[in-house]
Amino acid sequence: MKAIMKRDLLGFFTSPIGYVIIAAFLLMGNYFFYSENIGSLTSSLSYVFSDMTLVLCFTIPLVTMRLLSEEKKQKTDQMLLTAPIHTADIVLGKFFAAYMVFLIAFLGTLTWPLIVSMFGTPTLSEILGNYVAMLLIVGALVSMGLFISSLTENQIIAAIISFVCIFATFFFSTIASALDNPLLSTVLNWLSVFSRYQNFTNGIFSLADIMYYISLMAVFLFLTTRVIEKRRWA
Amino acid sequence: MIEVKGLTKFYGQKKAVDNLNFTINSGEIVGFLGPNGAGKSTTMNMLTGYLSATEGTAEIDGMDILDDPIEAKRHIGYMPEIPPLYMDMTVEEYLNFAAELKGVRASLKRRHIDEICETVSISHVRTRMIRNLSKGYKQRVGLAMALVGDPETLILDEPTVGLDPIQIIEIRNVIKALGRRRTIILSSHILSEVQAVCERVLVINNGVIVADDTPESLSANIAGNHKLDVQVAGPVGNVGSVLRSIDGVKSVVLRTDNGDGTGNFAIESAPNVDIRKPMFFRLAEAGYPILSLKPLDMSLEDIFVRLTAEEVETASGRKRRVQK
Repeated sequence: MKAIMKRDLLGFFTSPIGYVIIAAFLLMGNYFFYSENIGSLTSSLSYVFSDMTLVLCFTIPLVTMRLLSEEKKQKTDQMLLTAPIHTADIVLGKFFAAYMVFLIAFLGTLTWPLIVSMFGTPTLSEILGNYVAMLLIVGALVSMGLFISSLTENQIIAAIISFVCIFATFFFSTIASALDNPLLSTVLNWLSVFSRYQNFTNGIFSLADIMYYISLMAVFLFLTTRVIEKRRWA
Repeated sequence: MIEVKGLTKFYGQKKAVDNLNFTINSGEIVGFLGPNGAGKSTTMNMLTGYLSATEGTAEIDGMDILDDPIEAKRHIGYMPEIPPLYMDMTVEEYLNFAAELKGVRASLKRRHIDEICETVSISHVRTRMIRNLSKGYKQRVGLAMALVGDPETLILDEPTVGLDPIQIIEIRNVIKALGRRRTIILSSHILSEVQAVCERVLVINNGVIVADDTPESLSANIAGNHKLDVQVAGPVGNVGSVLRSIDGVKSVVLRTDNGDGTGNFAIESAPNVDIRKPMFFRLAEAGYPILSLKPLDMSLEDIFVRLTAEEVETASGRKRRVQK
Protein backbone atom coordinates (compact mmCIF):
# COMPACT_ATOMS: atom_id res chain seq x y z
CA MET A 1 0.00 0.00 0.00
CA LYS A 2 2.77 2.40 0.98
CA ALA A 3 4.65 1.74 -2.27
CA ILE A 4 1.60 2.53 -4.39
CA MET A 5 0.75 5.63 -2.37
CA LYS A 6 4.31 6.87 -2.74
CA ARG A 7 4.37 6.24 -6.47
CA ASP A 8 1.07 7.97 -7.14
CA LEU A 9 1.94 10.92 -4.97
CA LEU A 10 5.25 11.18 -6.81
CA GLY A 11 3.26 11.01 -10.06
CA PHE A 12 1.22 14.05 -9.03
CA PHE A 13 4.27 16.13 -8.22
CA THR A 14 6.70 15.10 -10.96
CA SER A 15 4.13 16.28 -13.48
CA PRO A 16 2.55 19.74 -13.30
CA ILE A 17 -0.88 18.31 -12.43
CA GLY A 18 -0.44 18.34 -8.64
CA TYR A 19 0.87 21.89 -8.58
CA VAL A 20 -1.77 23.19 -10.96
CA ILE A 21 -4.63 21.66 -8.99
CA ILE A 22 -3.33 22.92 -5.65
CA ALA A 23 -2.70 26.37 -7.12
CA ALA A 24 -6.22 26.51 -8.56
CA PHE A 25 -7.64 25.26 -5.26
CA LEU A 26 -5.85 27.96 -3.27
CA LEU A 27 -6.57 30.67 -5.80
CA MET A 28 -10.31 30.04 -5.66
CA GLY A 29 -10.20 29.45 -1.91
CA ASN A 30 -8.37 32.66 -1.19
CA TYR A 31 -10.73 34.59 -3.40
CA PHE A 32 -13.67 33.22 -1.37
CA PHE A 33 -11.82 33.98 1.86
CA TYR A 34 -11.25 37.52 0.73
CA SER A 35 -14.84 38.14 -0.26
CA GLU A 36 -16.51 36.23 2.62
CA ASN A 37 -14.25 37.27 5.50
CA ILE A 38 -12.16 40.26 4.67
CA GLY A 39 -14.74 41.87 2.45
CA SER A 40 -17.66 41.37 4.88
CA LEU A 41 -15.61 41.77 8.05
CA THR A 42 -16.51 38.53 9.78
CA SER A 43 -14.37 36.09 11.70
CA SER A 44 -16.61 33.10 10.98
CA LEU A 45 -14.96 30.70 8.54
CA SER A 46 -18.12 28.68 7.90
CA TYR A 47 -19.04 30.71 4.83
CA VAL A 48 -15.73 30.30 3.08
CA PHE A 49 -15.64 26.57 3.86
CA SER A 50 -19.14 26.20 2.53
CA ASP A 51 -17.85 27.82 -0.69
CA MET A 52 -14.93 25.40 -0.67
CA THR A 53 -17.34 22.51 -1.27
CA LEU A 54 -17.81 23.96 -4.73
CA VAL A 55 -14.06 24.10 -5.24
CA LEU A 56 -13.85 20.42 -4.24
CA CYS A 57 -16.50 19.68 -6.82
CA PHE A 58 -14.11 20.80 -9.54
CA THR A 59 -10.79 19.66 -8.17
CA ILE A 60 -11.56 16.17 -6.84
CA PRO A 61 -12.47 14.69 -10.25
CA LEU A 62 -9.23 16.09 -11.65
CA VAL A 63 -7.20 14.30 -9.00
CA THR A 64 -9.05 11.00 -9.02
CA MET A 65 -9.74 10.65 -12.75
CA ARG A 66 -6.50 8.96 -13.72
CA LEU A 67 -5.88 6.89 -10.60
CA LEU A 68 -7.15 3.59 -11.99
CA SER A 69 -8.29 4.39 -15.53
CA GLU A 70 -4.78 5.23 -16.65
CA GLU A 71 -3.32 2.05 -15.12
CA LYS A 72 -5.73 0.01 -17.16
CA LYS A 73 -5.13 1.94 -20.36
CA GLN A 74 -1.32 1.77 -20.10
CA LYS A 75 -1.53 -1.88 -18.95
CA THR A 76 0.51 -1.02 -15.87
CA ASP A 77 -2.24 -2.66 -13.84
CA GLN A 78 -0.61 -5.94 -14.89
CA MET A 79 2.33 -5.07 -12.69
CA LEU A 80 0.14 -4.22 -9.70
CA LEU A 81 -2.20 -7.18 -10.05
CA THR A 82 0.58 -9.74 -10.46
CA ALA A 83 2.57 -8.36 -7.52
CA PRO A 84 2.33 -10.16 -4.17
CA ILE A 85 -0.12 -7.68 -2.66
CA HIS A 86 -3.85 -7.57 -1.96
CA THR A 87 -6.24 -5.68 -4.20
CA ALA A 88 -7.13 -3.60 -1.15
CA ASP A 89 -3.50 -2.44 -0.98
CA ILE A 90 -3.83 -1.04 -4.49
CA VAL A 91 -7.12 0.71 -3.75
CA LEU A 92 -6.00 2.13 -0.39
CA GLY A 93 -2.66 3.25 -1.81
CA LYS A 94 -4.44 5.14 -4.57
CA PHE A 95 -6.98 6.57 -2.13
CA PHE A 96 -4.40 7.92 0.28
CA ALA A 97 -2.28 9.37 -2.54
CA ALA A 98 -5.24 11.44 -3.76
CA TYR A 99 -6.20 12.26 -0.18
CA MET A 100 -2.70 13.55 0.52
CA VAL A 101 -2.97 15.99 -2.37
CA PHE A 102 -5.95 17.59 -0.62
CA LEU A 103 -4.27 17.47 2.78
CA ILE A 104 -1.45 19.50 1.26
CA ALA A 105 -3.97 21.85 -0.37
CA PHE A 106 -5.77 22.37 2.93
CA LEU A 107 -2.47 23.05 4.68
CA GLY A 108 -2.35 26.13 2.46
CA THR A 109 -5.64 27.34 3.93
CA LEU A 110 -4.27 27.43 7.48
CA THR A 111 -3.49 31.09 6.84
CA TRP A 112 -7.22 31.78 7.14
CA PRO A 113 -7.67 30.94 10.84
CA LEU A 114 -4.38 32.70 11.46
CA ILE A 115 -5.56 35.91 9.79
CA VAL A 116 -9.02 35.94 11.38
CA SER A 117 -7.58 35.31 14.83
CA MET A 118 -5.22 38.24 14.38
CA PHE A 119 -8.07 40.63 13.64
CA GLY A 120 -11.03 39.02 15.38
CA THR A 121 -12.10 36.35 17.88
CA PRO A 122 -13.14 33.24 15.98
CA THR A 123 -14.60 30.21 17.81
CA LEU A 124 -12.08 27.42 17.95
CA SER A 125 -14.73 24.69 17.80
CA GLU A 126 -16.13 26.22 14.63
CA ILE A 127 -12.74 26.26 12.90
CA LEU A 128 -11.99 22.73 14.01
CA GLY A 129 -15.46 21.61 12.96
CA ASN A 130 -15.00 23.04 9.50
CA TYR A 131 -11.66 21.36 9.00
CA VAL A 132 -12.91 17.99 10.25
CA ALA A 133 -15.94 18.28 7.99
CA MET A 134 -13.75 19.11 4.99
CA LEU A 135 -11.42 16.18 5.63
CA LEU A 136 -14.37 13.80 5.89
CA ILE A 137 -16.06 15.17 2.79
CA VAL A 138 -12.81 14.97 0.83
CA GLY A 139 -12.46 11.33 1.91
CA ALA A 140 -15.98 10.49 0.78
CA LEU A 141 -15.67 12.29 -2.56
CA VAL A 142 -12.19 10.93 -3.30
CA SER A 143 -13.41 7.37 -2.70
CA MET A 144 -16.34 8.09 -5.02
CA GLY A 145 -14.00 9.46 -7.70
CA LEU A 146 -11.66 6.52 -7.30
CA PHE A 147 -14.56 4.14 -7.77
CA ILE A 148 -15.65 5.90 -10.96
CA SER A 149 -12.05 5.86 -12.20
CA SER A 150 -12.05 2.06 -11.82
CA LEU A 151 -15.02 1.77 -14.19
CA THR A 152 -13.42 3.21 -17.31
CA GLU A 153 -10.17 3.31 -19.23
CA ASN A 154 -10.70 6.91 -20.22
CA GLN A 155 -9.67 9.52 -17.69
CA ILE A 156 -11.72 12.27 -19.30
CA ILE A 157 -14.87 10.18 -18.99
CA ALA A 158 -13.93 9.40 -15.39
CA ALA A 159 -13.50 13.11 -14.66
CA ILE A 160 -16.81 14.10 -16.24
CA ILE A 161 -18.83 11.35 -14.56
CA SER A 162 -17.19 12.11 -11.21
CA PHE A 163 -17.97 15.78 -11.61
CA VAL A 164 -21.59 15.09 -12.51
CA CYS A 165 -21.99 12.68 -9.58
CA ILE A 166 -20.42 15.00 -7.04
CA PHE A 167 -22.36 17.95 -8.37
CA ALA A 168 -25.58 15.93 -8.23
CA THR A 169 -25.07 15.10 -4.55
CA PHE A 170 -25.61 18.81 -3.83
CA PHE A 171 -29.20 18.46 -4.92
CA PHE A 172 -29.97 15.01 -3.59
CA SER A 173 -31.55 16.21 -0.36
CA THR A 174 -33.72 18.69 -2.26
CA ILE A 175 -34.81 16.02 -4.71
CA ALA A 176 -35.38 13.52 -1.90
CA SER A 177 -37.80 15.80 -0.08
CA ALA A 178 -39.83 16.17 -3.27
CA LEU A 179 -40.12 12.43 -3.87
CA ASP A 180 -43.03 10.18 -2.90
CA ASN A 181 -41.03 6.97 -3.00
CA PRO A 182 -39.68 6.46 0.54
CA LEU A 183 -36.96 4.03 -0.55
CA LEU A 184 -35.59 6.32 -3.21
CA SER A 185 -35.62 9.35 -0.98
CA THR A 186 -33.81 7.39 1.75
CA VAL A 187 -31.12 6.38 -0.70
CA LEU A 188 -30.76 9.92 -2.03
CA ASN A 189 -30.64 11.33 1.47
CA TRP A 190 -27.96 8.85 2.36
CA LEU A 191 -25.88 9.86 -0.63
CA SER A 192 -26.35 13.53 0.04
CA VAL A 193 -22.79 14.13 1.15
CA PHE A 194 -23.02 17.83 1.81
CA SER A 195 -26.20 17.95 3.90
CA ARG A 196 -24.52 16.37 6.96
CA TYR A 197 -21.80 18.90 6.84
CA GLN A 198 -23.83 21.68 8.44
CA ASN A 199 -23.59 20.21 11.95
CA PHE A 200 -19.82 20.29 11.90
CA THR A 201 -19.71 23.95 10.97
CA ASN A 202 -21.76 24.70 14.05
CA GLY A 203 -19.12 22.97 16.10
CA ILE A 204 -21.19 19.83 16.72
CA PHE A 205 -19.25 16.58 16.36
CA SER A 206 -21.86 13.89 16.09
CA LEU A 207 -20.60 10.34 16.03
CA ALA A 208 -23.39 9.44 13.62
CA ASP A 209 -22.17 12.00 11.10
CA ILE A 210 -18.55 10.92 11.41
CA MET A 211 -19.56 7.30 11.00
CA TYR A 212 -21.65 8.28 8.01
CA TYR A 213 -18.67 9.69 6.14
CA ILE A 214 -16.40 6.84 7.13
CA SER A 215 -18.92 4.24 6.02
CA LEU A 216 -19.42 6.07 2.73
CA MET A 217 -15.66 5.86 2.16
CA ALA A 218 -15.65 2.20 3.11
CA VAL A 219 -18.51 1.39 0.72
CA PHE A 220 -16.87 3.04 -2.29
CA LEU A 221 -13.42 1.63 -1.52
CA PHE A 222 -14.94 -1.81 -1.18
CA LEU A 223 -16.84 -1.43 -4.45
CA THR A 224 -13.59 -0.37 -6.14
CA THR A 225 -11.81 -3.54 -5.01
CA ARG A 226 -14.77 -5.54 -6.32
CA VAL A 227 -14.56 -3.86 -9.72
CA ILE A 228 -10.85 -4.68 -9.96
CA GLU A 229 -11.41 -8.26 -8.84
CA LYS A 230 -14.29 -8.71 -11.22
CA ARG A 231 -12.17 -7.69 -14.19
CA ARG A 232 -10.14 -10.87 -13.76
CA TRP A 233 -13.21 -12.92 -14.43
CA ALA A 234 -14.25 -11.02 -17.53
CA MET B 1 7.65 -25.97 -10.55
CA ILE B 2 4.45 -25.15 -12.37
CA GLU B 3 1.55 -27.51 -12.51
CA VAL B 4 -1.41 -26.76 -14.71
CA LYS B 5 -4.53 -28.89 -14.69
CA GLY B 6 -7.51 -28.47 -16.98
CA LEU B 7 -6.92 -24.76 -17.42
CA THR B 8 -9.73 -23.22 -19.44
CA LYS B 9 -10.66 -19.64 -20.21
CA PHE B 10 -13.75 -18.27 -21.86
CA TYR B 11 -14.03 -14.68 -23.04
CA GLY B 12 -17.79 -14.48 -23.15
CA GLN B 13 -18.72 -17.24 -25.57
CA LYS B 14 -15.25 -17.52 -27.06
CA LYS B 15 -13.01 -20.24 -25.75
CA ALA B 16 -9.52 -18.77 -25.62
CA VAL B 17 -7.79 -21.58 -23.74
CA ASP B 18 -9.13 -25.10 -23.77
CA ASN B 19 -8.31 -27.60 -21.03
CA LEU B 20 -4.54 -27.17 -20.83
CA ASN B 21 -2.56 -29.72 -18.84
CA PHE B 22 1.19 -29.53 -18.34
CA THR B 23 3.89 -29.62 -15.72
CA ILE B 24 7.05 -27.59 -15.87
CA ASN B 25 9.85 -28.73 -13.61
CA SER B 26 12.23 -26.51 -11.72
CA GLY B 27 15.12 -25.29 -13.83
CA GLU B 28 13.47 -25.92 -17.18
CA ILE B 29 13.34 -23.30 -19.91
CA VAL B 30 10.11 -23.87 -21.76
CA GLY B 31 8.84 -22.09 -24.83
CA PHE B 32 5.21 -21.49 -25.67
CA LEU B 33 5.07 -21.50 -29.42
CA GLY B 34 2.02 -20.51 -31.35
CA PRO B 35 0.59 -18.02 -33.81
CA ASN B 36 -0.92 -14.76 -32.64
CA GLY B 37 -4.20 -15.37 -30.87
CA ALA B 38 -3.36 -18.96 -29.97
CA GLY B 39 -3.92 -18.35 -26.26
CA LYS B 40 -0.31 -17.89 -25.15
CA SER B 41 -0.80 -14.56 -23.44
CA THR B 42 -4.08 -15.63 -21.89
CA THR B 43 -2.38 -18.70 -20.43
CA MET B 44 0.43 -16.59 -19.05
CA ASN B 45 -2.02 -14.10 -17.59
CA MET B 46 -3.75 -16.96 -15.82
CA LEU B 47 -0.49 -18.40 -14.50
CA THR B 48 0.43 -15.04 -13.00
CA GLY B 49 -2.97 -14.32 -11.50
CA TYR B 50 -3.81 -11.38 -13.72
CA LEU B 51 -6.76 -13.28 -15.12
CA SER B 52 -8.80 -15.96 -13.43
CA ALA B 53 -9.32 -19.28 -15.09
CA THR B 54 -12.88 -20.19 -15.99
CA GLU B 55 -12.00 -23.75 -15.04
CA GLY B 56 -8.96 -25.65 -13.88
CA THR B 57 -6.06 -24.82 -11.60
CA ALA B 58 -2.54 -23.48 -11.85
CA GLU B 59 -0.06 -24.15 -9.08
CA ILE B 60 3.26 -22.39 -8.66
CA ASP B 61 5.64 -24.32 -6.40
CA GLY B 62 2.64 -26.08 -4.91
CA MET B 63 0.64 -22.93 -4.26
CA ASP B 64 -2.57 -22.31 -6.11
CA ILE B 65 -2.57 -18.94 -7.85
CA LEU B 66 -6.19 -18.27 -6.90
CA ASP B 67 -6.32 -19.82 -3.42
CA ASP B 68 -2.99 -18.54 -2.20
CA PRO B 69 -2.28 -15.63 -4.55
CA ILE B 70 0.15 -13.64 -2.41
CA GLU B 71 2.53 -16.53 -1.77
CA ALA B 72 2.27 -17.84 -5.32
CA LYS B 73 2.92 -14.40 -6.82
CA ARG B 74 6.01 -14.04 -4.65
CA HIS B 75 7.51 -16.90 -6.68
CA ILE B 76 6.78 -15.37 -10.09
CA GLY B 77 8.41 -12.63 -12.07
CA TYR B 78 6.19 -11.64 -14.98
CA MET B 79 6.99 -9.59 -18.02
CA PRO B 80 3.78 -9.07 -20.01
CA GLU B 81 3.74 -8.56 -23.76
CA ILE B 82 3.66 -4.80 -23.25
CA PRO B 83 6.02 -4.15 -20.34
CA PRO B 84 4.02 -2.36 -17.61
CA LEU B 85 6.24 0.70 -17.38
CA TYR B 86 5.37 4.03 -15.83
CA MET B 87 6.59 6.48 -18.43
CA ASP B 88 6.82 9.37 -15.97
CA MET B 89 9.41 7.63 -13.77
CA THR B 90 13.13 7.17 -14.11
CA VAL B 91 14.47 3.62 -14.35
CA GLU B 92 15.83 3.97 -10.82
CA GLU B 93 12.50 5.15 -9.38
CA TYR B 94 10.63 2.44 -11.24
CA LEU B 95 12.81 -0.40 -10.00
CA ASN B 96 12.66 1.00 -6.47
CA PHE B 97 8.89 1.01 -6.74
CA ALA B 98 8.94 -2.58 -8.00
CA ALA B 99 11.16 -3.58 -5.08
CA GLU B 100 8.84 -1.95 -2.55
CA LEU B 101 5.80 -3.48 -4.24
CA LYS B 102 7.34 -6.94 -4.06
CA GLY B 103 8.40 -6.43 -0.47
CA VAL B 104 12.18 -6.52 -0.96
CA ARG B 105 13.79 -5.62 2.36
CA ALA B 106 14.97 -2.01 2.40
CA SER B 107 18.49 -2.95 3.50
CA LEU B 108 18.94 -5.30 0.53
CA LYS B 109 17.16 -3.17 -2.04
CA ARG B 110 20.10 -1.10 -3.22
CA ARG B 111 22.39 -4.05 -3.91
CA HIS B 112 19.61 -6.12 -5.41
CA ILE B 113 18.75 -3.41 -7.94
CA ASP B 114 22.44 -2.87 -8.72
CA GLU B 115 22.80 -6.56 -9.55
CA ILE B 116 19.71 -6.63 -11.74
CA CYS B 117 20.78 -3.56 -13.69
CA GLU B 118 24.13 -5.25 -14.22
CA THR B 119 22.46 -8.46 -15.45
CA VAL B 120 20.29 -6.80 -18.08
CA SER B 121 22.87 -4.05 -18.82
CA ILE B 122 20.84 -0.98 -18.01
CA SER B 123 23.20 0.49 -15.41
CA HIS B 124 24.03 3.46 -17.64
CA VAL B 125 20.41 4.53 -18.17
CA ARG B 126 19.25 4.35 -14.55
CA THR B 127 18.69 8.08 -14.17
CA ARG B 128 16.81 8.45 -17.46
CA MET B 129 13.07 8.81 -17.80
CA ILE B 130 11.54 5.58 -19.07
CA ARG B 131 9.54 7.43 -21.73
CA ASN B 132 12.79 8.60 -23.33
CA LEU B 133 14.28 5.12 -23.66
CA SER B 134 14.40 3.15 -26.89
CA LYS B 135 12.18 0.14 -27.36
CA GLY B 136 15.03 -2.27 -26.60
CA TYR B 137 15.84 -0.56 -23.34
CA LYS B 138 12.19 -0.42 -22.32
CA GLN B 139 12.05 -4.16 -22.89
CA ARG B 140 15.07 -4.64 -20.66
CA VAL B 141 13.61 -2.47 -17.93
CA GLY B 142 10.52 -4.68 -18.12
CA LEU B 143 12.73 -7.73 -17.73
CA ALA B 144 14.53 -6.06 -14.83
CA MET B 145 11.17 -5.48 -13.15
CA ALA B 146 10.36 -9.18 -13.50
CA LEU B 147 13.67 -10.04 -11.85
CA VAL B 148 13.08 -7.84 -8.82
CA GLY B 149 12.47 -9.95 -5.75
CA ASP B 150 14.56 -12.78 -7.17
CA PRO B 151 11.62 -15.04 -8.14
CA GLU B 152 12.32 -18.69 -8.92
CA THR B 153 9.97 -18.63 -11.88
CA LEU B 154 10.09 -16.18 -14.75
CA ILE B 155 7.21 -15.81 -17.17
CA LEU B 156 8.15 -13.76 -20.22
CA ASP B 157 5.59 -12.92 -22.87
CA GLU B 158 7.31 -12.39 -26.23
CA PRO B 159 10.48 -10.97 -24.66
CA THR B 160 12.17 -10.16 -27.98
CA VAL B 161 9.29 -8.76 -29.97
CA GLY B 162 10.14 -5.50 -31.71
CA LEU B 163 13.86 -5.65 -31.01
CA ASP B 164 16.64 -5.39 -33.57
CA PRO B 165 18.75 -8.51 -34.29
CA ILE B 166 21.61 -7.52 -32.00
CA GLN B 167 19.26 -6.78 -29.13
CA ILE B 168 17.49 -10.10 -29.74
CA ILE B 169 20.77 -11.98 -29.36
CA GLU B 170 21.59 -10.02 -26.21
CA ILE B 171 18.22 -10.68 -24.61
CA ARG B 172 18.44 -14.37 -25.52
CA ASN B 173 21.82 -14.60 -23.84
CA VAL B 174 20.44 -12.89 -20.75
CA ILE B 175 17.54 -15.35 -20.65
CA LYS B 176 19.86 -18.33 -21.06
CA ALA B 177 22.06 -17.05 -18.25
CA LEU B 178 19.04 -16.51 -16.02
CA GLY B 179 17.79 -19.98 -16.83
CA ARG B 180 20.70 -21.65 -15.11
CA ARG B 181 18.98 -21.40 -11.77
CA ARG B 182 15.40 -20.53 -12.62
CA THR B 183 12.31 -21.96 -14.22
CA ILE B 184 11.49 -19.91 -17.28
CA ILE B 185 8.47 -19.86 -19.55
CA LEU B 186 8.68 -17.67 -22.58
CA SER B 187 6.32 -17.29 -25.46
CA SER B 188 7.03 -16.63 -29.07
CA HIS B 189 5.55 -17.03 -32.49
CA ILE B 190 8.98 -17.56 -34.02
CA LEU B 191 10.28 -21.13 -34.18
CA SER B 192 13.98 -20.27 -34.35
CA GLU B 193 13.64 -18.11 -31.29
CA VAL B 194 12.31 -20.94 -29.22
CA GLN B 195 14.93 -23.30 -30.64
CA ALA B 196 17.70 -20.92 -29.63
CA VAL B 197 16.72 -20.67 -25.99
CA CYS B 198 14.41 -23.43 -24.84
CA GLU B 199 14.91 -27.01 -23.75
CA ARG B 200 11.30 -27.86 -24.29
CA VAL B 201 8.56 -26.52 -26.49
CA LEU B 202 4.82 -26.47 -26.00
CA VAL B 203 3.11 -25.73 -29.27
CA ILE B 204 -0.26 -24.09 -28.75
CA ASN B 205 -2.91 -23.52 -31.35
CA ASN B 206 -6.48 -22.37 -30.78
CA GLY B 207 -6.03 -22.73 -27.04
CA VAL B 208 -4.92 -26.37 -27.25
CA ILE B 209 -1.47 -27.91 -26.83
CA VAL B 210 -0.69 -29.64 -30.11
CA ALA B 211 2.87 -30.70 -29.29
CA ASP B 212 5.08 -31.03 -26.24
CA ASP B 213 8.64 -31.88 -27.19
CA THR B 214 12.26 -30.82 -27.33
CA PRO B 215 13.08 -28.34 -30.07
CA GLU B 216 15.56 -30.85 -31.58
CA SER B 217 13.04 -33.59 -32.14
CA LEU B 218 10.44 -31.07 -33.19
CA SER B 219 12.73 -29.83 -35.91
CA ALA B 220 14.00 -33.29 -36.80
CA ASN B 221 10.57 -34.84 -37.05
CA ILE B 222 8.63 -31.97 -38.37
CA ALA B 223 10.62 -29.06 -39.60
CA GLY B 224 13.74 -30.95 -40.53
CA ASN B 225 15.46 -32.42 -43.50
CA HIS B 226 12.66 -33.84 -45.47
CA LYS B 227 12.06 -30.69 -47.44
CA LEU B 228 14.99 -29.40 -49.48
CA ASP B 229 15.57 -26.51 -51.78
CA VAL B 230 18.05 -27.43 -54.50
CA GLN B 231 19.41 -25.33 -57.35
CA VAL B 232 20.59 -27.33 -60.32
CA ALA B 233 22.19 -26.30 -63.61
CA GLY B 234 20.53 -27.99 -66.58
CA PRO B 235 17.27 -28.05 -68.52
CA VAL B 236 14.57 -27.89 -65.88
CA GLY B 237 12.41 -30.60 -67.46
CA ASN B 238 15.22 -33.16 -67.56
CA VAL B 239 16.47 -32.29 -64.11
CA GLY B 240 12.95 -32.69 -62.77
CA SER B 241 12.58 -36.21 -64.13
CA VAL B 242 16.01 -37.24 -62.77
CA LEU B 243 15.02 -35.95 -59.33
CA ARG B 244 11.71 -37.79 -59.42
CA SER B 245 13.47 -41.07 -60.20
CA ILE B 246 15.44 -41.01 -56.92
CA ASP B 247 14.28 -43.48 -54.26
CA GLY B 248 12.50 -41.85 -51.33
CA VAL B 249 11.48 -38.70 -53.15
CA LYS B 250 7.82 -37.96 -52.60
CA SER B 251 7.39 -34.85 -54.65
CA VAL B 252 9.39 -32.46 -56.78
CA VAL B 253 8.14 -28.96 -57.46
CA LEU B 254 9.87 -26.45 -59.72
CA ARG B 255 9.94 -23.33 -57.60
CA THR B 256 11.64 -20.96 -60.07
CA ASP B 257 13.02 -21.35 -63.55
CA ASN B 258 15.88 -18.88 -63.39
CA GLY B 259 16.06 -18.56 -67.18
CA ASP B 260 19.85 -18.95 -67.32
CA GLY B 261 19.81 -22.71 -67.58
CA THR B 262 19.29 -23.25 -63.85
CA GLY B 263 16.23 -23.97 -61.76
CA ASN B 264 15.26 -24.18 -58.13
CA PHE B 265 13.33 -27.24 -56.98
CA ALA B 266 11.51 -28.00 -53.77
CA ILE B 267 11.96 -31.68 -52.97
CA GLU B 268 10.00 -33.48 -50.33
CA SER B 269 11.23 -36.87 -49.18
CA ALA B 270 9.71 -39.53 -47.01
CA PRO B 271 10.43 -39.10 -43.28
CA ASN B 272 13.69 -40.63 -42.03
CA VAL B 273 15.15 -40.91 -45.51
CA ASP B 274 18.19 -38.81 -46.37
CA ILE B 275 18.14 -38.32 -50.14
CA ARG B 276 21.04 -35.89 -50.31
CA LYS B 277 23.76 -38.42 -51.18
CA PRO B 278 21.85 -40.37 -53.85
CA MET B 279 20.66 -37.11 -55.32
CA PHE B 280 24.23 -35.83 -55.58
CA PHE B 281 25.45 -38.91 -57.41
CA ARG B 282 22.44 -39.18 -59.70
CA LEU B 283 22.64 -35.57 -60.78
CA ALA B 284 26.43 -35.81 -61.24
CA GLU B 285 25.92 -38.90 -63.37
CA ALA B 286 23.42 -37.05 -65.52
CA GLY B 287 25.77 -34.08 -65.81
CA TYR B 288 23.59 -31.60 -63.96
CA PRO B 289 25.69 -30.01 -61.19
CA ILE B 290 24.10 -28.98 -57.92
CA LEU B 291 24.70 -25.27 -57.34
CA SER B 292 23.14 -25.03 -53.91
CA LEU B 293 21.35 -27.28 -51.47
CA LYS B 294 19.61 -26.22 -48.30
CA PRO B 295 16.87 -27.47 -46.04
CA LEU B 296 13.61 -25.62 -46.56
CA ASP B 297 12.58 -23.95 -43.32
CA MET B 298 9.10 -24.86 -42.43
CA SER B 299 6.93 -22.00 -41.48
CA LEU B 300 4.94 -22.20 -38.31
CA GLU B 301 1.84 -22.72 -40.41
CA ASP B 302 3.41 -25.80 -42.02
CA ILE B 303 4.18 -27.18 -38.58
CA PHE B 304 0.62 -26.71 -37.45
CA VAL B 305 -0.71 -28.35 -40.55
CA ARG B 306 1.56 -31.29 -39.90
CA LEU B 307 0.96 -31.45 -36.18
CA THR B 308 -2.75 -31.33 -36.56
CA ALA B 309 -2.84 -33.77 -39.48
CA GLU B 310 -1.31 -36.83 -37.86
CA GLU B 311 -0.78 -38.24 -34.45
CA VAL B 312 2.85 -38.99 -33.74
CA GLU B 313 4.37 -40.85 -30.85
CA THR B 314 7.69 -39.24 -30.15
CA ALA B 315 10.80 -41.04 -29.04
CA SER B 316 10.55 -39.63 -25.52
CA GLY B 317 7.09 -41.14 -25.19
CA ARG B 318 5.26 -37.86 -24.94
CA LYS B 319 2.08 -38.02 -26.85
CA ARG B 320 1.10 -35.25 -29.16
CA ARG B 321 -2.51 -34.36 -29.04
CA VAL B 322 -4.40 -34.39 -32.24
CA GLN B 323 -6.71 -31.60 -33.06
CA LYS B 324 -9.51 -32.22 -35.45
